[in-house]
Amino acid sequence: MAKEFKFDEEDEKFFGSVGSFGVPKFDNEMHGGVPRGFTMIAFTGTGSGSELFAKQFVSPAEEAENTLYISTNEGQAEIVRIFQKYDWPLDINVRTIGEEYNSNVLEKELLASRYRLEGFRLEDIQRLAQTRFVDDVTQDYLTEVTNEVMALGPYFRAVIDSLDFFLQRDDPARVVAMVRMLQAHAQLYRGLILISVSTDGLSPSVKQELASIADMVLSFQVRTIGTDFETSMIVSKFRNAPENLKILVFRVTPEEGITPETVERIA
Amino acid sequence: MQPAGQYSRDRCITGVHGLDEILRGGIPYGSTVLASGTCGSGKTTLGMEFLVRGADAGEACAHFTATEPSVKLLENIRQFQFFDVKMVDSGLINVFDMDVLYSWLGLEKSSFDLDDVHSLIKAIVDIVNTIGVTRLVIDSVTTLCYKIKSEQLIRDFLFTLGKKLATLGCTTILIAEITSATENAHWSSFGVEEAIADGIIVLGDVERMGHLLRFLQVVKMRGTSHSRAKHAIELTPLGVMLTPMLKWGAVSDTQNRWGA
Repeated sequence: MAKEFKFDEEDEKFFGSVGSFGVPKFDNEMHGGVPRGFTMIAFTGTGSGSELFAKQFVSPAEEAENTLYISTNEGQAEIVRIFQKYDWPLDINVRTIGEEYNSNVLEKELLASRYRLEGFRLEDIQRLAQTRFVDDVTQDYLTEVTNEVMALGPYFRAVIDSLDFFLQRDDPARVVAMVRMLQAHAQLYRGLILISVSTDGLSPSVKQELASIADMVLSFQVRTIGTDFETSMIVSKFRNAPENLKILVFRVTPEEGITPETVERIA
Repeated sequence: MQPAGQYSRDRCITGVHGLDEILRGGIPYGSTVLASGTCGSGKTTLGMEFLVRGADAGEACAHFTATEPSVKLLENIRQFQFFDVKMVDSGLINVFDMDVLYSWLGLEKSSFDLDDVHSLIKAIVDIVNTIGVTRLVIDSVTTLCYKIKSEQLIRDFLFTLGKKLATLGCTTILIAEITSATENAHWSSFGVEEAIADGIIVLGDVERMGHLLRFLQVVKMRGTSHSRAKHAIELTPLGVMLTPMLKWGAVSDTQNRWGA
């Protein structure tokens, strides 16, 4: 039998059946916002604005402690700078996997290479002689991230930007299984999850599988028109609401961040 | 120049009661000695006492532990009166966990290739050279060699390590685990260690009059004449004590009996 969760009536009233994308004009285009319980996959291109959209998506932060932003490419300082720039809440949970990976894995590997090439200095040897245990640093970020999102309560909001980090280091089947678990968790607890993944190097089968798990599929694209760039987002899947399928050209303004400009229907 | 008959190499006095007498003064400096023994035969205690006696004389010593965590090793060795933890605290005896060394060198893997082996040799030699180690114990070389899959690589590892340590004047005891110390047994797990080592000291048990006695026997020691007789070992709070073992009486010594 499927799992059920009894929601608090006050919560149901407060959160409603849809949540904001963090982009008012986009909410209007999607007839009110994103239905609670949705998992969104954003297929992205380089420079298409998806990182900003990911941050904007967590900015409504109805409950800051129940909002999680996981970045695999940016550092804390850069994320804080953007949130401050747009006056978005700074009290949400942020995890920077890329930074952690750099300090836990890459720096360690670099140091190991240095020891192997240049040897130990006296202070290294003294430290080595005093070190009794190997640092127990887990490197299974995929499991950690899954557990972290799964620990969020009803009406949570989470972003994973981006899945590339995991697809490059783990078995894609494991990554897809993780997305499936997160989707089930979001559905059960009426949470909202946005997961971005770059289309560069993504295998068609994994792309297809991610698209089929997702309740909503977005594609962020950038193209050149004359000497200008045009950024657009394409809504190519919206579960049970095909009227929401659209191509939205957007620009980035200093006040609102990502703002759709025109609306086109997919032919 | 000394006449050929009178030349004798400088010795590293082990300080282990009775062992220096067997070795006619100690282990020739810079030798790599394999201390092979069955479990519980006193290998670790012998290795630790060898270092402690060196530290007593002001020598810098190093111990690489691969079979048990250093915390446990130091806790176990504290029961012996000859050991003073201040020797570790002051840096006279430097105890290194092989697990930590592997981690620092990025060698947290199940098997080592040629590059890994060379990195490990370089690291050990670096440590010996930088802090001027004159006595070194690796406990155990068997555990370490389990990670080296090819016999040729094990040979290269031990030969190169031994050669470099000898150049630095470091006397080394490589502890090896064996399952049997009877006459027909191998003195090492992989067979190559015993051929490369300058010396072999075997530790084991013999049954005598219903008692299991520990024994030590120097099978080989390049650069010195030595007794090849079995000696009984007693692990006392003061350290390892060696006493000559009577030739008759041991069940495994029947062929040595008079008239046998």
